[in-house]
Amino acid sequence: MRKSMMKAAVSALCIGLFTCIGLVTEASAAAKCIKGDRKAPYTIGWANIYSVPTWMKQTEGTIAAEVEELKKKGLVDKLVITDAQGDANVQIQQIQSMIDADVDAIILIAGSSTAPARVVADACAKGIAVINFDSLVDTDEVTAKINTDSNEWGDTAAKWLIAELGGKGKILVLNGPAGISVSDDRRKGANAALAANPGIEILAETNTAYNVAPAQEAVTSLLFAHPEINGILSLGGALSAGAILAMDKQGRPMVPITGENARQFLELWKEKGLKSWATMQPNWLGAFATYTAVQALEGKDVPAFVKVPLPVIDNSNIDGYLARAKDFPADGYIFSPYDQKLFDELLAAK
Amino acid sequence: MSSMIRTGDDRLYWRVQGERNRGLMGLFAVVAAFLALYAYLFPGLLSVAGVSKFAQSWLPLALVAMAQAILMLTGGISLAIGATVSLGAVIAATTMSGYFGVAGGIVAVSASGLVIGALCGVIAIRLRLPAIIVTLAASFIIGGLALLILPRPGGAIPGWFSDLLAGNTPAALVLVFLVALLWKLYLATPLGLSLYAAGENPVGAYRAGVPVDAARIAAYAISGLLSTLAGLFIAAQTGSGDPVIGQAFTLNSIAAAVLGGVGFLGGRGTMRGAIAGSLLLSVMINVMFFLGFPPVAQYVAQGLIIIGAVALPQLTARFRRRP
Repeated sequence: MRKSMMKAAVSALCIGLFTCIGLVTEASAAAKCIKGDRKAPYTIGWANIYSVPTWMKQTEGTIAAEVEELKKKGLVDKLVITDAQGDANVQIQQIQSMIDADVDAIILIAGSSTAPARVVADACAKGIAVINFDSLVDTDEVTAKINTDSNEWGDTAAKWLIAELGGKGKILVLNGPAGISVSDDRRKGANAALAANPGIEILAETNTAYNVAPAQEAVTSLLFAHPEINGILSLGGALSAGAILAMDKQGRPMVPITGENARQFLELWKEKGLKSWATMQPNWLGAFATYTAVQALEGKDVPAFVKVPLPVIDNSNIDGYLARAKDFPADGYIFSPYDQKLFDELLAAK
Repeated sequence: MSSMIRTGDDRLYWRVQGERNRGLMGLFAVVAAFLALYAYLFPGLLSVAGVSKFAQSWLPLALVAMAQAILMLTGGISLAIGATVSLGAVIAATTMSGYFGVAGGIVAVSASGLVIGALCGVIAIRLRLPAIIVTLAASFIIGGLALLILPRPGGAIPGWFSDLLAGNTPAALVLVFLVALLWKLYLATPLGLSLYAAGENPVGAYRAGVPVDAARIAAYAISGLLSTLAGLFIAAQTGSGDPVIGQAFTLNSIAAAVLGGVGFLGGRGTMRGAIAGSLLLSVMINVMFFLGFPPVAQYVAQGLIIIGAVALPQLTARFRRRP
């Protein structure tokens, strides 16, 4: 009796398992949110949080260029662009309008890591391909998320600076705005390395927008307070350029500094003969997101999360970047080259 | 006898209301035109789901427009509205899924709004300090508090509460009408009656026995309450809290109130005007989307529409005054 019950239980379990496996294979045939009822040419909605910063303009440039490519192939016929002017509430309203207008895909840089979660889930439920990149939303109800790793950004930067200082020295930490996930994650990423090196003393930290002027102002006042500074851990954007300009104006000796691929920083780096390290949030993430959306709509499976490796700029390869500087705006970012082959490789990587 | 007075009162009441509406007719016409254009571009608006979703985007702005208008009517102003909205949102997102539940969260959000608003009011009114300075300083303190409670976006709102307020039901629209109705009732209380008098002619009102200071402090408290409630709604709408979500509301609340004909000097303007102003700002965003304006053109169009809506009543009034 007991034996037969066991048997029944085991067979039930087996059937259950098979059904599960069956469901999983079925689900992986198409990417999340995709129902297969949308046909090319597609309408792409680009829900930007704020179009004014140069980084955003360049990113929009890569999206527009990618859309032109896809138009030639007959895959896309329209690009709809919204600008929430920095207001996460407006962004929600605009995503809702995109749902109302029944676009086929939404490309999104979120103005808040939590606020758009519900409206994005609504879009996903309507079969709209949602590709979220750069600033991510805390939800799984999207087709794919694409980003570099902000923790790794901070970690690698901190390790480079610590090695450069021989594990001992007084540093400044320059952060992006407070309360923003990206700036918070980069800072957290630096924590472990800093804690492991008690010889590194943090004199002060700043929180400013990712712009030259506010960073320069903040560093200028810190320079008065701290006569001895051995290194600067700058966690992004044009903060490093601001710091260098501030030190230069006061005639302070240059110190090792980390940074990002801002053209102004790279040019100052070369001009002042610095020893530096920089990475980047590639602007072509926008083009890549657009490409991924169309791939998903075409029925291809795309990974739920695509981790884009952080390109590194150091004294060995900076000349290659500066050689292309004239192709980029003076206050822009010199991003690494990209093509469809790179995109296919990134989508294929697990 | 009382009925006789009542009829006389009624006639006076409607005449006053008509007088106050006259300046707003231009704005109402513009708002109606935009709503009609929106419905034409997006027929789905005329469904329950369509109205619900639109009302959800509009409600927070309507609430902060009222929060700003009530202060401007007393001759005050607040630069802390955005920060207070953020605070309301983070308090809601951190309390509601915890021990005290949704009811506890609503109490905490309301109490914090009333207390913060009243404190600002007491400091500005009793110490005779300029409201603009007091609320600017308050905006830093309140914004900092929000960041202390929730250093980065997070927290949670129970799903059923989000669906109740911001699901596919027109709950948000009902709330707008409810708050407008409560405002009417408040105007019938002694403090509410004192509001306009305290704003338009504080000295005269004081000599006539109007509790000027109390009316003004109460206005600050109510303004704080409306702001944190806007934050509560945003938290429900988004299902979470964000410590900087409210930032844009400070300027937008002033824009909506001014657009609605509320003057900076106190005593001039109506709440229905402020609500209509917020509606225009909100519907404008959707209309421009459906017209397919590129973002750069949207900046320009937005500015032109606001100037147009403010100028229209002035122009019509001037036209009317001509013999």
